Amino acid sequence: MTILPYIGRRLLFIAPQLLGIVLVSFFLVKSIPGDPAVLMLGPTATPEAIASLRSKLGLDHSLPVQFWIYLKDLAHGDLGTSWQTTRPVLEDLVQRFPATLELVTLGLLVAVLIGVPLGLASAFREKGIIARIADFYGLGAGALPDFWLALVLIFVFYTLLQWAPAPLGRIDLAVIPPPPVTGMLTIDSLLAADWDAFRSAAAHLVLPVLTLGLVNAGPILKMTQSTMEKMLQSDFSRYEVLCGIPHRLVVRHALRNALPSVVTIISVLYGFLIGGAVLVEIVFSWGGAGQYAVQGVLNSDLYPVLGFVLFSAIFSLFVYLMVDLIYLAIDPRIGH
Amino acid sequence: MLTVTHSFEAERPRPAAVALGIERLRVEFPTVAGAPKVAVRDLDLSIRPGEILSLVGESGAGKTTLARSILNLPPSPGRVAAGSVRFGGVDLLQLAERELQRIRGRDLSMVVPNPRGELNPLLPVGDQIATIARVHLGKDKKTARAMALDMLRAVQIPDPERRMKAYPHELSGGMAQRVVIAMALVCSPKFIISDDATSGLDVTVQAQILDLLRRLAIERHSAMLFITRDVGITAHFCDRVAVIYDGEIMEIAPRESFFLAPRHPYTVMLLAAFSHNPRLRRGWTVSEAQRRTVDAAVGCAYADRCPRAQAVCRRVKPPLGELAPGHFARCHFPVERS
Amino acid sequence: MSKVLSFLRIVGRIARVRPRFVVGYVIVLVAILAGLLAPAIAPYSPIEADPTQFLEPPSWKHLFGTDAVGMDIFSRTIYAPRIDLTIAVVGTLLSAVAGSFIGALVGYYSTGRGVRVWASYAVMRAADVLQAFPVFVFAIALVASLGQSIQTVVLAIAFVNAPIYLRLMRAQVMSIREMRYVEASLVAGLSDLRTIMRHIVPNAMGPVLAQLSINVGWAILLTAGLSFIGAGVRAPTPEWGSMIAMGFQNVVTGQWWPSVFPGLALAITVFGFSLVGLSIEVVADPVKRRALVRDLARVSLCAAPGAASLSAKSTP
Repeated sequence: MTILPYIGRRLLFIAPQLLGIVLVSFFLVKSIPGDPAVLMLGPTATPEAIASLRSKLGLDHSLPVQFWIYLKDLAHGDLGTSWQTTRPVLEDLVQRFPATLELVTLGLLVAVLIGVPLGLASAFREKGIIARIADFYGLGAGALPDFWLALVLIFVFYTLLQWAPAPLGRIDLAVIPPPPVTGMLTIDSLLAADWDAFRSAAAHLVLPVLTLGLVNAGPILKMTQSTMEKMLQSDFSRYEVLCGIPHRLVVRHALRNALPSVVTIISVLYGFLIGGAVLVEIVFSWGGAGQYAVQGVLNSDLYPVLGFVLFSAIFSLFVYLMVDLIYLAIDPRIGH
Repeated sequence: MLTVTHSFEAERPRPAAVALGIERLRVEFPTVAGAPKVAVRDLDLSIRPGEILSLVGESGAGKTTLARSILNLPPSPGRVAAGSVRFGGVDLLQLAERELQRIRGRDLSMVVPNPRGELNPLLPVGDQIATIARVHLGKDKKTARAMALDMLRAVQIPDPERRMKAYPHELSGGMAQRVVIAMALVCSPKFIISDDATSGLDVTVQAQILDLLRRLAIERHSAMLFITRDVGITAHFCDRVAVIYDGEIMEIAPRESFFLAPRHPYTVMLLAAFSHNPRLRRGWTVSEAQRRTVDAAVGCAYADRCPRAQAVCRRVKPPLGELAPGHFARCHFPVERS
Repeated sequence: MSKVLSFLRIVGRIARVRPRFVVGYVIVLVAILAGLLAPAIAPYSPIEADPTQFLEPPSWKHLFGTDAVGMDIFSRTIYAPRIDLTIAVVGTLLSAVAGSFIGALVGYYSTGRGVRVWASYAVMRAADVLQAFPVFVFAIALVASLGQSIQTVVLAIAFVNAPIYLRLMRAQVMSIREMRYVEASLVAGLSDLRTIMRHIVPNAMGPVLAQLSINVGWAILLTAGLSFIGAGVRAPTPEWGSMIAMGFQNVVTGQWWPSVFPGLALAITVFGFSLVGLSIEVVADPVKRRALVRDLARVSLCAAPGAASLSAKSTP
């Protein structure tokens, strides 16, 4: 099987890529002004206290040495500590990353459910009314600011219609969250058969998932539509029509050929949204990983930022590996 | 003087009925500035059952447009503006898409050039042949697969069992061409259009493909419209030869008559261009006119390039006149042969 | 005068065939005009607040209402393009020029002799690493490290978008480089650089131009997003994103106008830029261009005098 050595080779490349990412982000993040020691101790701190805290934090070493220390800690699974939450970054991320993952995965699912059928419909009937709506939507969705759409949805469904819960996090304050297994509230509450928690978690997910889904359906729709059109006008599709192959079958074959492009854009969006859902997380006070990183930047709290970049980079690389494996399965031309 | 060195095989019975009748077919391509470009102009052509008619023309003469328009699939953005194509008692151009779909590939099929660009890259070639059998003949998967294997053997692909699972990009040009022929013939259609089926292939492979095509057509008693740019290869291959220029038939004649006594100046030039006699070549080859000055709607389309053209040729379009039994030419001043 | 008329006629024909293009250009034009003419047409100052008039709903006095501090939203909304468009356009142009230039070099030297090949490979791997960054966090970090100002926002946008043009240009150059006329130019003795500038770049421009307009739209969204979380343009400078942020809490309590109007303006402007980008894409892509030309021909046939006789001839 040529697959195992292929995966092996890819995994081998991931290590230096990650190293590069960590290197760049370390130096970038360190260039953000703001002395963490000063920020932690507050404005009344004495110079001696600041100096001793700086030396305790290792901030009086030179940058390359600090980087080396960071790498060593990384090898032991220590991503540093956040001075805002006063907890290890690893712990914070383990708690917050599943929140983002749950949100982004469901949002992308909704985006695919909206975008793919609309894209296909508009590729088939180029002059029909569905095609016009799909065209408009494809262009418009990419123009919508996601944080603004979130606000509009909150206004309509919470303020006006009172259907949705208040945008204050992932679950009602009155409801006890289920014991954490995966960190994703929906799955955990199902595993614990806790229906109250499940209903609350699901209700809180509706608006943010809808926001992400509506906005990201646009690029998926456009890619599906343009790829299907190209396939239906391609030489081999015309040849199949020439051979009298019924329309249904021609379409099915064209779909199969269009799959790689659609899969590509879904995977690109997936990797992008882990950090790109930040604004939606902030609007809904989601407590996700992106929000955590942004707060880190704005408050010169550096280790959360580094930790988040690392997590999201690993996730992206993993997604790309999965996608390449899917390509190998679909397209026989690759690997020859 | 050209000599035909291959002996003509015994005359096959010629029933009077017509396998495919094209009448006043007109195919146009829209342009930015005003009038559409006419690719096929009021063309008449009829092919008898079991007959092999060779259609010769240079690039851009309208051969592929004609071929695909017969199946009502003119190359985009062309459209069929007028005319009829009678096949099996119906006018194909008036049929709905659903009915056409049943005829295409089963009763009337086409062998396309550049096969590797036309086959579905994601499906093994065996499946592609079997699909046609399944769709048109209603065979189940196993039978269809067996038929596909038989066809691969019939087109003489080496190691057919292994090739069944091959993908188009794994095949050479010649093998892919054989696959496309297999797809065109699997349902034993009554009529085959072969569009430039041998271009881009090595000369030796060309000869093999030609022999193969002819043998399969004769075996199945199919009529064939054999389209090519190379007048030479049709010499031992067909029953009649037609020459197309700028969307019109310029000359059509039985094989012997065509090669022994060509009448149209363009035909003579074509034959001379492929001739081995350098004197002949020099005598008749005219450089292509840079600009089109004749209005092909009223005058003879070849007038710009014709060494024999007179004023009348530009003003009056010559009709396709019968100059000898079964031998037609569209010219006011046809070439006389001693 | 007649030139203007024939231009308008062509625009009219395009409007009939592809209305969306005309809509796009009109929107972009309106946005630019709003920014330019704001001082003349805005009824109120964009940064002066009238505390007695806070959170007024839309009325004839305040077309879009007022926000929590008492500033007129309509005036601020039409002043905002000055900031948003400037940042977006300058940032995008910067990224396009820098990215394309580096991309052209990288593509040109991707095969050949020695050191340059290694250098171009290294640049590509660096671009990979850059693009693996979560875009938003990267932009915020850049702004934070360089200090929060309009210039740094521009730089952040340029940095984030440069890899796109780098890859685009690189791909184009790599395919064009193989063409004959490039060989001819080199044989004729032109230096590498002049060959690139004279022959390769003009032919590669098509996709880059199409990308530019769409990118400006994204850049506006990014600017608004940055300002929304407070890492972009600072209040009280009128900017759509920060306006939406300021109205955030009010939306939840029912006063929707401080956030909804700027958001609408933002969405419509970005939409306009997408449409403009689409029109450039159609002109650059030969297949789509042919389709457009064919539709235009059909429309002009009906409109041209004497077309009646022409169309009569072509139908049976």
